[in-house]
Formats: sequence, C-alpha cells, structure tokens
Amino acid sequence: MEFDLKTIEALAPDQASLSAASKLTKRTNWPRLEKHEQQALIWGECQGSGSNPYRVVVDTGDHGYKCTCPSRKFPCKHTLALMWIAATAPASFAAANTTPEWVNDWLGRRRKTTPQPAQPVPGAEAKRIGEASQADESTAIEDIAALERREAAQRKRAESTREAVSAGLDELDQWIADQLRLGLSGFVDASSDRCRRIAARLVDMKAAALAGRIDEIPSRLMALRSEERSDAAIRELGKLVLLAKAWRSEPDDPELKRLVSTSEPREQVLSSPDARQVESLWEVLGEKIESRRDGLVSHSTWLLDLKSATPQFAVLLDFFPASAGRRSNAFAPGDRFNARLVFYPSRLPLRALVVERMGEVVPGAWPDFAFGTAKDPLATHASHQDAAPWIADCPLMLPPGAILLDDRGTAWWQAEDEPQGIALPIAGAVDQTLLGLDLAATAALWNGARLELLAAQSEFGRLDLA
Amino acid sequence: MRDCWITGGATFDLAPAGWKAIAGGASPDEQERRLLAIAAQALDVALRPAAPTTLKRRPPLPRLALPILPARFRPLLRAALKHAADARRKARVAALVASRGFVLHPMDWMPSDQNSPDVYAPWVDWQASMNGERLAPQEKLTAENWDEFYPAARRLVLADMRRTDPTSARMLIEAKASGEPAEVRLALVELMRFGLSAEDVPFLKSLSADRSGKVRELAGRLLARLGEHVRPSDGGPDDPVAELAAFITEGRSGFIRRRTIYTPAKLKSQVQEQRRAELFEICNLVDVTERFNTTEAEFIGGWQFGADNKADILIARMVAASGSEAALTQMADTLIAEGGKPALFVLHLMPRLDSRRKRVLIRLILKETTYLGMINLAEGIDVDWLEWDDLTNGQALAALRSAAGGKDDAARRGLDDVLETIGFLATATTAAKLIDDMVAAGVPPAAPSLGLLRLNASLAGPGSNT
Repeated sequence: MEFDLKTIEALAPDQASLSAASKLTKRTNWPRLEKHEQQALIWGECQGSGSNPYRVVVDTGDHGYKCTCPSRKFPCKHTLALMWIAATAPASFAAANTTPEWVNDWLGRRRKTTPQPAQPVPGAEAKRIGEASQADESTAIEDIAALERREAAQRKRAESTREAVSAGLDELDQWIADQLRLGLSGFVDASSDRCRRIAARLVDMKAAALAGRIDEIPSRLMALRSEERSDAAIRELGKLVLLAKAWRSEPDDPELKRLVSTSEPREQVLSSPDARQVESLWEVLGEKIESRRDGLVSHSTWLLDLKSATPQFAVLLDFFPASAGRRSNAFAPGDRFNARLVFYPSRLPLRALVVERMGEVVPGAWPDFAFGTAKDPLATHASHQDAAPWIADCPLMLPPGAILLDDRGTAWWQAEDEPQGIALPIAGAVDQTLLGLDLAATAALWNGARLELLAAQSEFGRLDLA
Repeated sequence: MRDCWITGGATFDLAPAGWKAIAGGASPDEQERRLLAIAAQALDVALRPAAPTTLKRRPPLPRLALPILPARFRPLLRAALKHAADARRKARVAALVASRGFVLHPMDWMPSDQNSPDVYAPWVDWQASMNGERLAPQEKLTAENWDEFYPAARRLVLADMRRTDPTSARMLIEAKASGEPAEVRLALVELMRFGLSAEDVPFLKSLSADRSGKVRELAGRLLARLGEHVRPSDGGPDDPVAELAAFITEGRSGFIRRRTIYTPAKLKSQVQEQRRAELFEICNLVDVTERFNTTEAEFIGGWQFGADNKADILIARMVAASGSEAALTQMADTLIAEGGKPALFVLHLMPRLDSRRKRVLIRLILKETTYLGMINLAEGIDVDWLEWDDLTNGQALAALRSAAGGKDDAARRGLDDVLETIGFLATATTAAKLIDDMVAAGVPPAAPSLGLLRLNASLAGPGSNT
C-alpha cells in the first residue's frame, strides 16, 4: 500500500469530500475490500446511498482510480475512503489471486499515465484530514418546538402534494378518454408527443413517478411489431386507469405513492416495521441499465433467493442523471453473496435494499425448483397481475425449455414438450449459440409482450443472458 | 371492441354483459376507461402468446472431447479474449487453452472458421448447420448427394477426405467441379494441396483447359509442386519464364570446386522492379530452373541471398507457391543458415513448413531481436513450447526489457503485441517468469497485454483442473 494521508489530502477535490469520505471509512460500509499486490491494485464495494453498491478500484502505483458512483467530483468520496482505509488499515484488504472482471474492464480501457506526485487542485481551499474526522462529531440539539414546527410543515406539504396529485390524475383520466375517442391508431403514431405533454403536466402536479412511466410508453410500444402495438397500448393505458383508481382509494398506501409520486427515502424503508427483511443467499441474475426519456438512467440489479424452495426475486433499483455519464455495472452476473435485504413495502415485494452483506459465496447451480406439472409458463405473471395489476415487469423462473427461431428470425422461448402451443417471444436478438442449448431453468422478465432473458442454467453451466 | 378503440369511439355497446355490469352506471368517458382497464387485465391474465407454426429448434450444440474451462479461470480468459484484437488472435487463445486440456465455454467464444483447434470441429460443423448449410457429418459425401451439401460444408468434408482418402476425394472433385461456378471450382481445386501426389497429375493437367484463368493458374502451381511443367518454355520474347530469366544473372564461383551461382540482375527503374515482381508471381519454380538447365536444389543452393532483399523475398514467395516439398525445406534451411535479414524471409514459407522448422524460425527471430515484431506474423505455429532459455539465449529478453522501460509509445505498442504472441507460444513456467520480468522492467502489473501470459501461467497443466 502506497498511501499516506497527505497524498489523500492532496488528491481530495475539497474539504467536503474529505468529510464525506471520513464517514465511509467504517468497515461496515465495505462488504468487499480486496487487493492484488503484484498488480498494485486495491478495490472494494461500498454500500452507498444507492441500492446498488459502488465499485471502486485504485491503482496504488500511479493513484489512478475509478468509481461507479455518479458523482462529479474526482476523486469521489468513495475513492478517497478506499484510499483512506488503505492508508490507515491496510489489513482490511483481503489478498486476491485474480482481479474481478469489472477491474479488468477498467484496466483494459484506461490510459496508463506516468505516476505524478499528487498535487492539490489549483484554487482549491486547504483541506485537512483531521478536520474531516472531527466534522461529524458535533450534532446540533434541536428543541422540541422546532421539531413540531418541522413536522407540521411536512404534513402540510404532504397534504398539498396529495391534492396536486389528485388533480393530476383527473387530468390523466381525461387524457386517456381523449385517446380512446380519437383512436388508439393515432395514439400509437403520435405517442411520443402526446405522452410527453401529459407527462410534463403530471410532473407539474407532483406525480413524477407516474410521469416517468408514461414517458416510457412510446419506447415500449415501438419495441413491438406494428400489429402488436394496439394491444400494447390498451394494456399500457388500462394499467394507468387501474393505478389511478387504486391511488384514489388508498392515497397513503406506500406502494401506490411510490408508483405515482415519489419513493420514500432509504432510511424510512430501513426503519419501517412493515418492510419485510429476508436474510438469505442471493445470486445476481443480471443487470439492466436503461436511459429514460426524462433524463434519468435506471439501474436495476435482479437477484435470486437461492435458499427459497420456490423462485423468489429481488431487485435493487437506482436512478441517476444520464448527464453523470456511463456507469459500470455494480455486480458481475453470477456473483453470490449472503445478505440481509429489506423489501420496500408492497403487495408483491420485489424492490429491495441491501441492509447487510455477509460475504461472497462460490458460484454453482441453482436449487432444484419444483416446477410442478403446471404447464402455463405465465402462471406467476397472471397471479402477480391479480394482486397488483399495475405491475409492468414480472420476474419469472421458466421450466426446462429452449430458444427457437421463427421464419422472421425472431427468437422465442418454449417449454420442452409444450402441449398447448404456448411460446414467449424474446426481446431483441439472442446469441446464436443459445439456440443449441437445452435450458434447465431460465430467469427472465415478462412485460406482457416480450421476454427479457436474465440468466439460465444449462448443461454448460450458468449462462449470462442479460 | 379493439377495432373500435383503434379507430376511435365508444365501445360500451359492444362489451360483454359481465363487463357492462362493472363498467355501467358512470359517465360515458368513465365507462370507456373502466372497459379499458378490464380489457388490459384480460390481455395480461387470460391470453397467452401462441407459438408460430414456423418455430424451428436447432440441433443441440455437441459436447466436445475436452472439459469446459473451470469457472475460476473465466475472468482471466475473458480478459485475454477481450485484448485479442481479431478472430485469429482469439483463436490462438482457444488453442492455448486446448493445449492445456480445456475448451472454452460456448458463450465466451465460438470457432468462426477452419483455423480453430481440431477439438472444436463438432462446433464448426454445428455453426455451419446454423448458417443454413446442410451438413450431414455422419453421411459420406458422394456424387449422388453432392447437391445436398452447401459449398462450405462440402469443403470441410472434402478437406478431410483428401487427408484420409485422397483418390476418392480427387475423383469426386473431378466428377463434380466442372458443373460448379468458377469461384466454387477454385476453392475445390485448392483442396488438392492436401495429400498432393503424382496420382493427381492427370487431373491437374486436364484443368489447363479450364474456363477460369485463376483455376488454370492454381492447377499450374500445384503441378509445379510435383515437378511438372505447365507450359513448354518457347524461349521467345513473350515467354514470361524467359523474361524472368533475364532478370537473373548466371555466373560461376569458387576456385577449386567451380559451381554455378544465380544473382539478381541490377535493375534500372521502378518499372523494371514492378515487372520482375509480376513475373515472379506468375512463373513457377520448376519452369525457371528448367530455363537455367538446372534442378530446384541447385538453383536454390546457387542463389546469392543478401544481394537484393526484394529479390530474396520474391524467390521465397515463388518457392512457397510452386516449389516442391524438397525445395521448400531446402529453401527454409538455407535461409535460416544464412542468418541475418534473409533468415526472416522464411516467414513467406511459413504456411507450408513443418512445425520443427517453424520453431527454429521463431527461435531465430527471438535471437536476432532486430525484427522481433515479425513473430506476430508467424501463422500456424504450435502452442506451449517456448522455454525461458529461448528468450535468454539471444537478446530477446533484453530487447523486451528495454521496450518495457522506455518511453517510446510505438515500441511499447510493439511490445504489447510480442508479449501477446509469446503468451501463446510459451510454456506455463516461461509465462510466469516473463510476467515477473516484465513487471520488474516497468510494464504495469495490470497491463492487458500481460493477459494471455497470465492465463497461460495459471493453466499450469493437468493439475489446473483440481
């Protein structure tokens, strides 16, 4: 380890970064800390404010670094914290024989520079490690009256938000009726403009989450063949009607609030007695990083509970501004770890946060899920729709099957010995090799019209399909 | 109802009675919204995508004779594959892994052509069948089922037949080639180089009347390798052999044992140089030697290497194209014995050289060091044999160290390529030593160019699968 605190001080962009980094130097923030001495690398995963951990790698030779967080400060607080741990507690890093793939990725991309002595950023004010360490020790004591005032203001804000959202949903209802009157054929053709307009209105009316969903409708429609788009439009708009009705009947329901206006903060989920916590062995099935029309990038990591007898899933979901640049994946598909997750309260808990990670586990096969004799691959989807009809994507564990091609070259998943002529069309192109593999079990997302493959088990072992 | 919504308008009257009961008793707009919500739910819950009748299942990907590379080596493998710039280099990674007793996971790499290690042959066949080529490996190719095979699949089978049963293969080509277009005919005749023998002479001579100039030229070269003349040299001004002979000066050398020597004539212009190059391309060795009334062996033995490098390259190419096996090995041995720059012209003979001579050439390139980068051009070399002594015998290691420690970007890029090639040629022990040496000399420990060496070193042999 070639770090001393002076170097870190010099690299830090400002005092605030150092103060923030000091709070992240606790071992509990870092479920993984490793080093490769021959390659002069240290890396770690920091459980930051997002659902997905940030991956940080530092070249101890030339102080090059990379963090997956969206911060615009370079180096960010996570990088500084990793260096800080390396300087003060080098024993925290476990020696690794090989570098993980995400580290290799970075190494392959980066341009190696000649080591430069760390220089303070010109113009930056003086920064001190000592100051940063003490910064969080003084906490202001609030008086009770101030607390009450703040709570009252919060209640007032919540009430005004509810009124605004309610008015927004009225506008949405009218807009849907207008689309039906004008014809869905016209709606499909002009969906981009029409959705943008109502989405902008809903943002003004504080229904930001619903606006984001409506903004994505055009791209969901365009991903389908033209003859499928009318049905898809019926499904998308029908679900909006259901969601609006559900919210009106239970505006304080946390799931509905999350889908219509905004998500509750992470701390609230962690402390909520209604939030289910599950400690288990989890496997990363795959990740989806999608740029949305509202300028955000959604980053979802799908996990599979390996200790559950029936397939149980979890998703770690983060949003960050697209302007923060391309972001590396938080996990490698196939990673396994013991962890306690807390699920956001909902009818079908899926979205989760990692409360605590307890170490990595060697990869292997999936448990033998009893698929039973039920031949309907969408049975889970149907039951999810019954419980929460507004859900867009439903994770499925499909029974033994294979990928087949139709005469247009579109790929379909079909169960082996399928008697009822059911096959599920797959979104996008598939690797040609996949067409020759028997899939013992396939994890995928069904959006009502297309299957998005995440991972599968085959005679060649695990297949990353995301 | 769907059609009505598509064109625009009220659907209430068209709805089933049960739906009407739920949707009724509200404003017309609300009725439509309710019906839309029910329809959306019905689409999701009650309907299943029907499999098209045209769905086709590909034959299963065959199992190979070697086990799949254990999962723990996959990060190293992926890093090496990522760094390998083209298909040829990726195939080299596969060859290295195959030499250590493993095959790659089909989702990491699939063979793209005939240059893959033999163990992948079943996958090459499988790929050919994927591309619509009707390949029936269990079925013997005959004149009757000729049309059931696509050209690429036929080439595969015929190349195999030429190695095991050259007469039958020739008879098939003889019987069927004339009915094929020129391009396919050329590829078929090209296969005659496998197991080429005197028995093939009559067929090859019959091709002198072929409609395609390229086929006639190729047949001529193959005949020349068998010591046969294609066209009688008339010695006239239009005879290319005579014209080429004018560019070569015949002389005598030695005081006690007089022997004939052949020296390239001095050229006066660029035009002459260009013409000489063309003539070397179109003339066959056997015709040139006849012109000088000598044998191939005496002609090569008497050639004055080093007098004109360009002429040396041209004659090496001519021998590679049309020389007999004996001429080829004599040429290679003579060039290597010559040393210096001419020795490197053996590269032009590489595709036809046996593996022992190829190794000698690689050792020579490493020893000479002046043209170290040329080892990247060597093709079809064995994997896993280069020892540490081969690097330390000459100046190779010193040259690599100096490139690693220097600041010359071009030299470092050259070094990256050489390290990658050595990563393929070296034994595991050599690879491990070279990594340490290069890191000590200044190559960043995590440099992607060390990727193949690292994979090589980690796959130390039969023990690596434990």
